[in-house]
Amino acid sequence: MGEAIVITSGKGGVGKTTTSANLGTALALQGKKVCLIDTDIGLRNLDVILGLENRIIYDLVDVVEERCKVHQALVKDKRFEDRLFLLPAAQTTDKSAVNPEQMKKLILELKQDYDYVLIDCPAGIEQGFKNAISGADRAIVVTTPEISAVRDADRIIGLLEAEEELEPPKLIINRIRSGMMESGETLDVNEITTHLSIDLLGIVMDDQNVISASNKGEPVVMDPTNPAAIGYRNIARRILGESVPLMTMEKSKAGFFGKIKNMFSK
Amino acid sequence: MTKSQLITIKGTKDGLVLRLDDHCSFTELLSELKEKVQSSVLEGVSEVQLHLGHRYCDEKDMNKIQSVIHTSPHLRVSKVHSDVISLKECERKLIEKQSETYIGIVRSGQVVKADGDLVVIGDVNQSAQVIAGGSIYVLGRVKGIAHAGAQGNKDAVIAASWLEATHLKIADKIEIMTDELTILSEQPEMECAYLQKNGQIAIDRLQELRYLRPDLATFKGGI
Ligand SMILES: Nc1ncnc2c1ncn2[C@@H]1O[C@H](COP(=O)(O)OP(=O)(O)OP(=O)(O)O)[C@@H](O)[C@H]1O
Ligand SMILES: [Mg+2]
Repeated sequence: MGEAIVITSGKGGVGKTTTSANLGTALALQGKKVCLIDTDIGLRNLDVILGLENRIIYDLVDVVEERCKVHQALVKDKRFEDRLFLLPAAQTTDKSAVNPEQMKKLILELKQDYDYVLIDCPAGIEQGFKNAISGADRAIVVTTPEISAVRDADRIIGLLEAEEELEPPKLIINRIRSGMMESGETLDVNEITTHLSIDLLGIVMDDQNVISASNKGEPVVMDPTNPAAIGYRNIARRILGESVPLMTMEKSKAGFFGKIKNMFSK
Repeated sequence: MTKSQLITIKGTKDGLVLRLDDHCSFTELLSELKEKVQSSVLEGVSEVQLHLGHRYCDEKDMNKIQSVIHTSPHLRVSKVHSDVISLKECERKLIEKQSETYIGIVRSGQVVKADGDLVVIGDVNQSAQVIAGGSIYVLGRVKGIAHAGAQGNKDAVIAASWLEATHLKIADKIEIMTDELTILSEQPEMECAYLQKNGQIAIDRLQELRYLRPDLATFKGGI
């Protein structure tokens, strides 16, 4: 039986969907059987990032309302033979169309056939969040190095810790700009992990190719040389139980000068 | 028949001490008090300490006694001693003396409440709240909101390894930790917040707590 992992954040737009797509792809690249579920009903995105939008016939709401069987609704990513599938969100209704009990049942069913079920959670702490976490065994909290994102992550971690069926959540810090971090313009990795005091699963660099790759429908993680892709691949290996050291942040020129400037301004 | 003395008056260096009999009826007591107050020849203003003995007086009774005494322009009640308190008040005092312990991080949006003292082993993050009827002691950083003496206990304190709260409340007084106040604590390490006599919340080093609030200590005697 597989494992269900929810990817959540509290604050919107910090990279939950990007992380779901890239981790799902990375795990499939490692030979695992993965099913991604988009629970952002009404605002679906995951299908676009994976380039599967045109192939959707049924969606999550069709499945829970038993208009079709699960396997009919799953969209296969042809790049990975039989290892990567997406259960898309409905676009025409809202989050109240599904309840936590239905999600639990659905995820339990999917765990029979897949090694990993990754659940892309909508922003916020309302119904959509409750649906997304209800069937999960583990949770990953995504934040960026911004104070507002970290604050919302703290709130979400509190809610996740209150769920007895969930293991302690783990953290991904996304969109790191080494220059800004080194010059103290954003919180650094250490400050964030101390403040939130949960385990760090990994960090992902801010990289413009993440956006262009998503637009092409081909997650950036497919490019093994891209710095953000390396971050996602490392995280996938840690999920598989390997111990991979935290990658050292690339020292960009801006970062170096930023640091010197900072020294003088003190 | 000579009436036994229901009220005895004694002059001390701290003013007058009025001992009120605790066996007679309340109306009897009041009427004798009236007599005594009116017949007394006094100059200036004297502070009066009332000793009620084992008579239980609620707020209404207390108001009656005080208004009788204050019919004389020379008398002012400064203190009231009583050997009894109501069950309710006793329970409240007992509860406020109890201590509850929370281990873990109080996160944004979470509220941890205790009827008595509250010990938190962990941080209180931004936008998180800890509320106690008694005092709050945090082995960690307070970065959020702390409210001690939530039922009105003005002697309650907030003590922490790092006191960097955004809001401090003691009894019904609230302090937003603006820059002016935080300047008082450039190094927010090992500090405590308490309510001053003037009604302002102040912050001091933890070492001062034993002088500021000696009654918080329950450990009596030396080694
Ligand atoms: N590491 C990164 N580098 C550069 N851009 C990124 C990175 N991660 C995410 N982005 C971009 O940030 C935007 C928001 O990402 P995404 O849609 O994954 O966030 P989300 O948390 O799922 O948002 P929502 O709360 O709306 O569901 C997208 O344009 C995405 O391409
Ligand atoms: Mg999303």
